[in-house]
Amino acid sequence: MVLIQSVLGGVLIGGVYALIGIGLTLIFGVMRVINFAQGELVMVGMYVTFFLFQLLGVDPFLSVVLTMPALFLLGALLQRTLINQVLDALPQNQILLTIGIGLVLSNLAMLAFTSDYRILSTSYSSSSVALGAIRLSTPLIYCFLITAAITAALYWFLVKTDTGHAIRATAQDRDAAQLMGVNVRNMGILAFGMGSALAGAAGALVAPIYYIYPQVGGAFTLKAFVVVVLGGMGSIIGATLGGVLIGVAESVSGTYFGSGWKDVCVYVIFLLVLLLKPSGLLGKSRV
Amino acid sequence: MRTLIISAVALLAFLLVPLFVQSPYALHIFILLFMAVALGESWNVIGGYAGQYSVGHSAWYGLGAYGAFILLQRNATPPWFGVWVAVAVAVVVALAVGWITFRLRGPYFVLASIAVAEIIRLLALNWKDLTNGAEGILASDIPPLKLGETVITDWNSKTPYYYMGLLLAVFCIAVNLVVKRSKLGYYLQAIREDQDAAHSLGIPLTLCKNAALGISAALTALAGSFAALYIGFIEPQAVFGIDISIQLLLTCIIGGIGTITGPLFGAIVLVLLSEALRSSLAQAHLLVYGVLVIAVILTMPDGIVGFVVQRMRRKAGTQ
Repeated sequence: MVLIQSVLGGVLIGGVYALIGIGLTLIFGVMRVINFAQGELVMVGMYVTFFLFQLLGVDPFLSVVLTMPALFLLGALLQRTLINQVLDALPQNQILLTIGIGLVLSNLAMLAFTSDYRILSTSYSSSSVALGAIRLSTPLIYCFLITAAITAALYWFLVKTDTGHAIRATAQDRDAAQLMGVNVRNMGILAFGMGSALAGAAGALVAPIYYIYPQVGGAFTLKAFVVVVLGGMGSIIGATLGGVLIGVAESVSGTYFGSGWKDVCVYVIFLLVLLLKPSGLLGKSRV
Repeated sequence: MRTLIISAVALLAFLLVPLFVQSPYALHIFILLFMAVALGESWNVIGGYAGQYSVGHSAWYGLGAYGAFILLQRNATPPWFGVWVAVAVAVVVALAVGWITFRLRGPYFVLASIAVAEIIRLLALNWKDLTNGAEGILASDIPPLKLGETVITDWNSKTPYYYMGLLLAVFCIAVNLVVKRSKLGYYLQAIREDQDAAHSLGIPLTLCKNAALGISAALTALAGSFAALYIGFIEPQAVFGIDISIQLLLTCIIGGIGTITGPLFGAIVLVLLSEALRSSLAQAHLLVYGVLVIAVILTMPDGIVGFVVQRMRRKAGTQ
């Protein structure tokens, strides 16, 4: 029973990891840039949600419709002004640039909001739903349902629309896509915007669950890498699966080894995947 | 020859500074500078020459700090002996980690290095019997440094730290010089420029990278234990956190990788800017690092030193 409980809890939180991971993998797929600022974008989403709730009383789960466009604009702007300039640079330099962006975002947040931990508590924050002997926290269930809806919408967009086709074509073969008349520059801006919007959505969804503070992003960045590498760099289905698997691994190891050790398990799994199957569960080998 | 004379004069000047400068704050800035130089040069060995961008060097920094502190606290081992045990531990762990992670390339190596540092940080946080967990350890009762029966220093002023820091920085620079001009150094630079070409010429990739990582980890552990003793307190986030890795990596990047002078200039720029803005930025002092690295990557990808050298060459070319 304890096992089922912690597996279910893991699946629910895994949805959020998947969302952050999908954003990272989308950006990587289209531009071959690993975004080390992904977690900081989640952090920005958390603060936007917190202040929307605090100042205007917007419910954190409803605020997704505001945080997503806001973060889309931020991401598109970052891509247009900064990332676009290093698309042909060494991968190390791309990584350093995104590390720099992450540092600027988290330290600006510290200047603006201090390093205080903030808590967003809603009327349903501590309520839970009982399924037989299993209890699941209500905010986590909402969070998972919205995550699933956003992921489904994203799949639909990528598979059914012309723009979605263009994005996937760019990810598959940049030059060929360009020859077919796809504006790859705009696809890059779109992809980074969408990746950021997904991070923003994740930030909004976890705002009622986690403490909100300027350095919270680092942990999300790392987890997003684990998710993406586990699923296979550039694979969206892989990232979805990876997110859920990592959520479950974290939750189950937390239950059996104590919560201090759950992240150790996640990183050990990460190293094992890197060493034994670096292309990930569903990815093509690019190493 | 000219460089040699300039270095000798600079070293002599640095040796004389504490005789004329009494202000503890000024000495403090010098000590910060020495630590930043030592750490930047340490990272340079693996990141600069071998081109392996480790973002997990806080692991070696923290192992150095924890090793010296635990021995001091438990066995009252003087840190200048304890630190060598810590350095040995850091090197052994680094070689084990290198043996596993050096088959990875590019971004995958970066990710693995972060994961390793995080695992070690979490171990330090959870292994409370050894490390005292999140409460950390306070450096208490550092024994006086004696030569025979004469007490050289009892560590109560900044001056002994100044000379220790200077010694450390000079040592790290010297190791860099030796590595750069050795066979190993040329192998490493070949690996950085083109790993496959280096491999096809018969350069043992993993062995060379591991040697570089071992040297780099030893220097970082040494500098880490010195920094921790100077601050007087350690806890897992402060010494194993990714902030440390990023600071010492960016010192090197901003100055220019793969050169001796790069980390020197990087350290000067970063320490002085961080100090100048300390009162207005407070905890957000890493903002300086973020803004600078963005500017450097976009406008001078070879770092400040690389940029200046290029400019000078272009000038010489037009004359």
